[in-house]
Amino acid sequence: MTSRDKILGSVRDAMRTLAIRPVPPTSAPVFPPVTDPAQRFREEFLALKGEIIESPEALRQFLAGFPKITTDDSDLVRQTAGPGNATVREADLGITGCDCLIAQMGAIVVSPPSAGGRAPSVLPPAHLVIARRDQLIPDLAGAVDFVRRRYDGHWPSTLSIIAGPSRTGDIEKIMVLGAHGPRRLAVYWAG
Amino acid sequence: MTSTEKSFRSAATVKSADAPHRAVIRRNMATYHTSVARGKQRFLDWENARAHAAGIKWEVVNHLDRYLEQFESNLVKNGAQVHWAEDAAEAKAIILEIARSHGVRTVVKSKSMVTEEIHLNEALAAAGIKSVETDLGEFICQLRDEPPYHLVTPAMHLSRTDFSREFHEKLGAPVTEDPEELTMIARRWLRKDFLTADMGITGANFAVADPGMIALTENEGNIRLCFSLPRVHVALVGIEKLVPRVEDLALLWPVLGTAGTGQALTAYSSLVGGPRAAGEIDGPEEFHVVLLDNGRTRLLADVEQRDALQCIRCGACLNSCPIYESVGGYTYATTYQGPIGSVITPHLRGYADWSHLSYASSLCGACTSVCPVHIDLHRHLLQNRRNAVQQRLDPLYQRVAFRVFRWLVNSGRRFAIVGKLGRLALRLGITRPFTRPWTATRDLPPPPAQSFRAWWAATQTARPPAGETAPAQQPPGGPTLR
Repeated sequence: MTSRDKILGSVRDAMRTLAIRPVPPTSAPVFPPVTDPAQRFREEFLALKGEIIESPEALRQFLAGFPKITTDDSDLVRQTAGPGNATVREADLGITGCDCLIAQMGAIVVSPPSAGGRAPSVLPPAHLVIARRDQLIPDLAGAVDFVRRRYDGHWPSTLSIIAGPSRTGDIEKIMVLGAHGPRRLAVYWAG
Repeated sequence: MTSTEKSFRSAATVKSADAPHRAVIRRNMATYHTSVARGKQRFLDWENARAHAAGIKWEVVNHLDRYLEQFESNLVKNGAQVHWAEDAAEAKAIILEIARSHGVRTVVKSKSMVTEEIHLNEALAAAGIKSVETDLGEFICQLRDEPPYHLVTPAMHLSRTDFSREFHEKLGAPVTEDPEELTMIARRWLRKDFLTADMGITGANFAVADPGMIALTENEGNIRLCFSLPRVHVALVGIEKLVPRVEDLALLWPVLGTAGTGQALTAYSSLVGGPRAAGEIDGPEEFHVVLLDNGRTRLLADVEQRDALQCIRCGACLNSCPIYESVGGYTYATTYQGPIGSVITPHLRGYADWSHLSYASSLCGACTSVCPVHIDLHRHLLQNRRNAVQQRLDPLYQRVAFRVFRWLVNSGRRFAIVGKLGRLALRLGITRPFTRPWTATRDLPPPPAQSFRAWWAATQTARPPAGETAPAQQPPGGPTLR
């Protein structure tokens, strides 16, 4: 008998008796509704120390600060920010698209198909997301539904929700940005 | 007394009198409680969110066979390889075999309590494989050769001075007490390990049956690097980590973030379901999931305490426990500290050595009141005490004492005689050897002049005829319990 059979056998034996069922939740919503997604995203994202690039001119200035750039090579990114000039391992900045953005948490959903693989959105010390306003989803539950509809049956190998720049509180619970992932995280609305 | 209990007692005695240690823990807890109180305000009704979370995990631990099989078959469809390990030795053998077959020399690791549980780093080191902890708190614990101090905050007990000294001595870094500079030292140091490691090892916060992915929660980005850069990714997952559907995470992610650190969402919430897929440009060639039992099915079989497997390892019970705050994380000498550790460790590692932890509690119930998945923690501590007695693990003197006590209190006459003798003995001070464990650090109140029963009898005879108001009388020996 394999370990699999033994473990599943013990589990099945245990499952013959149900534990006491906990008091069920009510059907009331768990979170307050998000009324103005654009405004909410802005507030939440800035509170998490994300940067919002407000104009094409500001984007040019932002990009000028990074000599080595890698991109996901998508049409949206190429048309908005131009081509990259470095590999992901040497880049100072990764520019990617995303699957969607979550207003409720000021968060961004990325995956290999939407952000040029796993590394471009986490390995370089800065990450710029080029997004369209119609990618903004009011809340987390809606974002999960969106991802399910988009990928059901053929999920990408991984998917990450990014809520602000990389951070740590491991030294005396003092928040420090840029622990291992990008120290700077920016969003530019390209439409 | 077992050696584990002896060392618990002596460590607890030292730590609870260690004022600087207590100050560090209190400061950490205060920060935690402030953040969590703020985080809960993001919910319309936190209690309802807890009920939802408890419902999801109840469903899982009561239909676990179904979800395990679904998880496995969906993962395999995505090209992942699934292994089953009955115990720590088997899990280590599986992981070492994967490492060997890929010629792995360096492993980058995420913080994972289940890898602590099986002592994976020691096994890798013994096989000549360098294993690097990449979470900042775990990294310094590894440099100090210490286990994590806390489920969520492994270096809670260390100050910035400790970080500075350790980085200076072990890494040759310049002395600095700036948390930002210290973090950058670790970032630069670990970067080359990320870029050269052959294998990434992670745990999982959740294992999603549909669509067959593991979920990983973090703030630093080290976990994403662990599953993005190396050639092989291995995830060690306790069988209780299942959740039915990815939609459940829309609730469980915020609940874990809030109960764990007060964050609505941690910086990174990731799902991993397979190795690099066709058409993807990076990611590991192989993704292995090792499902670990290691005593969990024993706990599953205990219907009374099965809910302990609903745990999402948020650390809320540790952070609310007056015992944890006094004795600290290392005193428990277990992988899982605090109330949840005291509940599950006897099941995972045997009552004989670990049932003393059931007494590391004032039974105040603070843990139960904060648990986001409604684990009845303090009741389980009581049940573990009972189980230990049923297994005759209680010491002989205690068994005799309770038998004598039962004999005494089952007769009013015997009880009265013993009470009288007891009060006399207390007044003469000849009880000192027996009360010493209590009186060594506390005062005993002075014995009352008469027993409650004597006072009651006197009150009854002095009672005025019906209709008149009785004068207020104070029973002997202090305030009344109304």
